[in-house]
Amino acid sequence: MAKADEYKMFQGCTIGNRIPFIEASARKVFDKLGIKTSEAPFACCPDPVGFNSVDHTSWLAMGARNLTIAEAEGKDIVSLCNGCFQTLKLVNTELNQDEHEKAKINKILKTIGKEFKGTINVKHFVEVLHEYGPDRIKEFVTHGFPGLKVACHTGCHYNRPSEIVQTDDPMEPVKLRELVAATGAVPVDYEEEMLCCGAGVGNSEEEPSMQVLSNKFSSALKAGAEVFVVICPACFQQMDTNQKKAGTQSNNTFDIPILYLTELLALSFGFNPDELGLKFHRSRLTTFLDKHGLK
Amino acid sequence: MVSIDYELRKKVMDTHIHDTLKYCYQCNRCTDVCPIANIAPNRYNPRNIILNSFLGFKTSIFGVEDKFNLWGCTVCDTCDEVCPQKIELTEIFTVLKNMSISIGEGPEYYTTQASAIYESGKAIPPQSAIERRREQLGLPKIEPPSLEEVQKILNETKLNKIINK
Repeated sequence: MAKADEYKMFQGCTIGNRIPFIEASARKVFDKLGIKTSEAPFACCPDPVGFNSVDHTSWLAMGARNLTIAEAEGKDIVSLCNGCFQTLKLVNTELNQDEHEKAKINKILKTIGKEFKGTINVKHFVEVLHEYGPDRIKEFVTHGFPGLKVACHTGCHYNRPSEIVQTDDPMEPVKLRELVAATGAVPVDYEEEMLCCGAGVGNSEEEPSMQVLSNKFSSALKAGAEVFVVICPACFQQMDTNQKKAGTQSNNTFDIPILYLTELLALSFGFNPDELGLKFHRSRLTTFLDKHGLK
Repeated sequence: MVSIDYELRKKVMDTHIHDTLKYCYQCNRCTDVCPIANIAPNRYNPRNIILNSFLGFKTSIFGVEDKFNLWGCTVCDTCDEVCPQKIELTEIFTVLKNMSISIGEGPEYYTTQASAIYESGKAIPPQSAIERRREQLGLPKIEPPSLEEVQKILNETKLNKIINK
């Protein structure tokens, strides 16, 4: 496996081309901690929910192409997105474990002069931060959130299928909780912590997607959560933009800030809401920011 | 009357690398934990999909009125984790969804996204407004992928034919 002195940054389509403020917070956190990254001309990962459902072979080939780009530099990939992480990790593993598939995909890659070798690793940014260590991260916290009640939501593709991704416990993940706690915040226990955000089924139909989301929100609010902290842009968008819709459908009113883990960390390191582009959030953050004296 | 489609059976069994599918004893753990079966029990049932696919009951999976029977899956991978026989259900659903797309039964979202990836190399193509925002946030420009390479790969896998482009 490659040495982790510098990672290839894989922000993915959603963060890169739709909600880049998430990337801004991630880069600020990485810089502060001294985690080095560099760019590469990656294509779509591609989407494990969408594109893999269309054609598995195309998905493998496109994923493998991305991996060969990092392989050429001998660097591991760090993903800011659950979906990109899962795709690249699954493709890497499937091709490494299945000679027949590997030969088939390499025949396709040969037409563009590339070859998948399987020499690098793919990491989720939560893994990278957790390896760095919650205790070491704590040392950078100047504007902590003591007592802030947080509903942690890892989303599905960070820790499943666990046999392959091997990031965390598949049903009781701890790394996100420990990183949130490093800021002084308190992760709450809520019944639906492992429930999907509902974005996947939303590609087919809206109503069940909003139902799942509403169940998720209700459970966290019941447990006293003041904010959600997420680590996937698909979950982020689903939760940040659909509160009204989910509320209307279920006769609830949801008004809960959704923060990316890197945003919570960056705020706790003293970065201000402006430089993080927090104004681009759709759910209201003003009450939360005022309460913690953040301007 | 339900007829058995041996080709479907073979395809599902062949794709399933660990060959555990035939040991499914219909315990229903997958459906128990499924967030979609939980809210739409009459429309989506993973245990049923598995049963129908290894029995080869093609007409119970495809060509039915409510496509939610297959596309209700939210791809959360929870069923995979709880299956006592270690059946990777999501992998089997992918095989079935690929078949559904190839006969034109998938939701529009999927083929639209696949077209975007073919055309631009990205599921969400770059937009000038976001590029400006990236600059304001002090972010580096995103290096565009080689479209020639992307399209060569996807021509090789015949993606266009699959999504009826």
